[in-house]
Amino acid sequence: MPQPAQYRGMALVIPDNDSEWTEYFAHARQHRLMMRACAACGLMRYPPSPACPWCMALEWTWREVSGRGTIHSYEVVAHAIQPGFKDATPYVVVLVELDEQRGVPTPDEALRIIGNLVTADGAMEGERDAAIGRRVRVVFHDVADHLALPQFTLTDEPPVGRVWRLPE
Amino acid sequence: MATSSLRDKYCIVGVGETEYSRHSGRTTRAMAVEAIRKAILDAGLRASDVDGMMSYQNGDSTPANWVAPDLGIRLNFYMDVVGGGSSTEALIGLSMGAIEAGMCRTVAIFRSMNGYTEFRIGGTGARAAQPVRGLDLAQVPFGMRSAGQNFGMTFMRHMYDYGTTSAQVAHVKAAHSKHASQNPKALLKDRVTVQDVLNSRWIVKPLHLLDCCLETDNATCVIVTPAERARDLRQRPIHIMGVAGRVSKPRTDFHWAHGPISRVAGYYAKDIVFGQAGITPEDVDVTGSYDAFTFTTMLQLEEYGFCKKGEGGDYVSSGVIELGGKRPNNTSGGHLCEGYTHGMNMVIENVRQLRGTVDDYCPKAVDGVHTYDYGPRKCRQVKDVEITMNLGWAMPPTGSAMILRK
Repeated sequence: MPQPAQYRGMALVIPDNDSEWTEYFAHARQHRLMMRACAACGLMRYPPSPACPWCMALEWTWREVSGRGTIHSYEVVAHAIQPGFKDATPYVVVLVELDEQRGVPTPDEALRIIGNLVTADGAMEGERDAAIGRRVRVVFHDVADHLALPQFTLTDEPPVGRVWRLPE
Repeated sequence: MATSSLRDKYCIVGVGETEYSRHSGRTTRAMAVEAIRKAILDAGLRASDVDGMMSYQNGDSTPANWVAPDLGIRLNFYMDVVGGGSSTEALIGLSMGAIEAGMCRTVAIFRSMNGYTEFRIGGTGARAAQPVRGLDLAQVPFGMRSAGQNFGMTFMRHMYDYGTTSAQVAHVKAAHSKHASQNPKALLKDRVTVQDVLNSRWIVKPLHLLDCCLETDNATCVIVTPAERARDLRQRPIHIMGVAGRVSKPRTDFHWAHGPISRVAGYYAKDIVFGQAGITPEDVDVTGSYDAFTFTTMLQLEEYGFCKKGEGGDYVSSGVIELGGKRPNNTSGGHLCEGYTHGMNMVIENVRQLRGTVDDYCPKAVDGVHTYDYGPRKCRQVKDVEITMNLGWAMPPTGSAMILRK
């Protein structure tokens, strides 16, 4: 992979020996959201990590997930820190709870992932429609030949639970 | 969880700090030397009495072995650890361990940072340009780098889970600004109202500008030694009843994986620290709850049991945490108003509260004579303080705590 990949003024460094991330982002470049799944107990985990946090097994496989989920929390950045985000404000960061493996293995656990809330064609979504409980699906932003960033866009599916957004 | 305890066997005997400013104009080495020197003199020690030194930093400071010789100190033990918030209490605990192991006798712990003029804590400047690798790839590419951006989703979920409002947590800033108006050292001495907080511009929703702490140049120091040694020193010994350090939630690689995400590390730390001290929250007279943001104070006070989980918004807006209230918090003004030190200034303040010699505007404060008039530019000493508690925050999933007594 050419190093580093440039995105919004940031150098994203994923060397070939990055045994956690390299394949994850290469799969994302194929527009597939893949989680590491434990070969022993079968549970998926994110971010990709070297061992199963539930059974300590070192063996794993990649398993594709639907990329559909629910906004578990969010924030709206009005004052950007990174120079490459200055022109994107206000932008929305979402914590998405994926549909697979919710409340497993304990009720407080889930496969959750962070991304920006974007429009279907990948532009930053306005904050007006950001809300806990809204449904989203993954879209991929191609950054380099072997790297894409998973992002999330709102869908018309009925919300999960109570819909809530920060009062104006 | 029961842990063993060294309750009351160790004391904080000296405290010191430099000016809190946005223009230090000098090195972290020079500032550290000033803070340590002041703490040594405060304790009534000589340089040769200090034989241990610890510091914490994020590549933004000067290590102990470069600072100690400036004061003629030869060390039997030193260690500089990576870390920011929640390090103070943890390092005080580790210093007790080093002394208990016979490695040294008296430890100076310092934090020195040009947090405004060099390495800005908010993440702007040099930090914003750093390459993104490892676990940072899970969030930084999405514009989530600064502390406020790191914590915002935790705060938002607390509002969802419990109905906490912006106005409720704004009371934390209002209270701390009131306290800072009685602190000659404070960087911001002007009182602000809840409405001022709500009217300030958004930084990262749900945080307004005035929900966020300061960026500051300064150094701070505390000195720890065994209680039997402390009895012979200049100040009233302040005893360490219990300490918990960098207690963590599960999955610190990505703490959002293990909810509830509105739960913070105090959930796990409280039994350790209260268990050692053998007291309950009701016994605590003054708290120092890390106020990187208004929300962090609120989250910790409820997690440690000063109110029920979820009722933090009511608690911090009830007047309890203000001077004159039942259990004042951050009587120096804390990170929101006095200055940002990664937690140590709140420990220093609690030590002074317990001594009864808070450095407010009372003319004879140094002799422990106070008016207890909590008007602007007046007194900030709390009456009859017996027990204080510090709640140290690093991130939502990591925290430290310490209970002190006279």
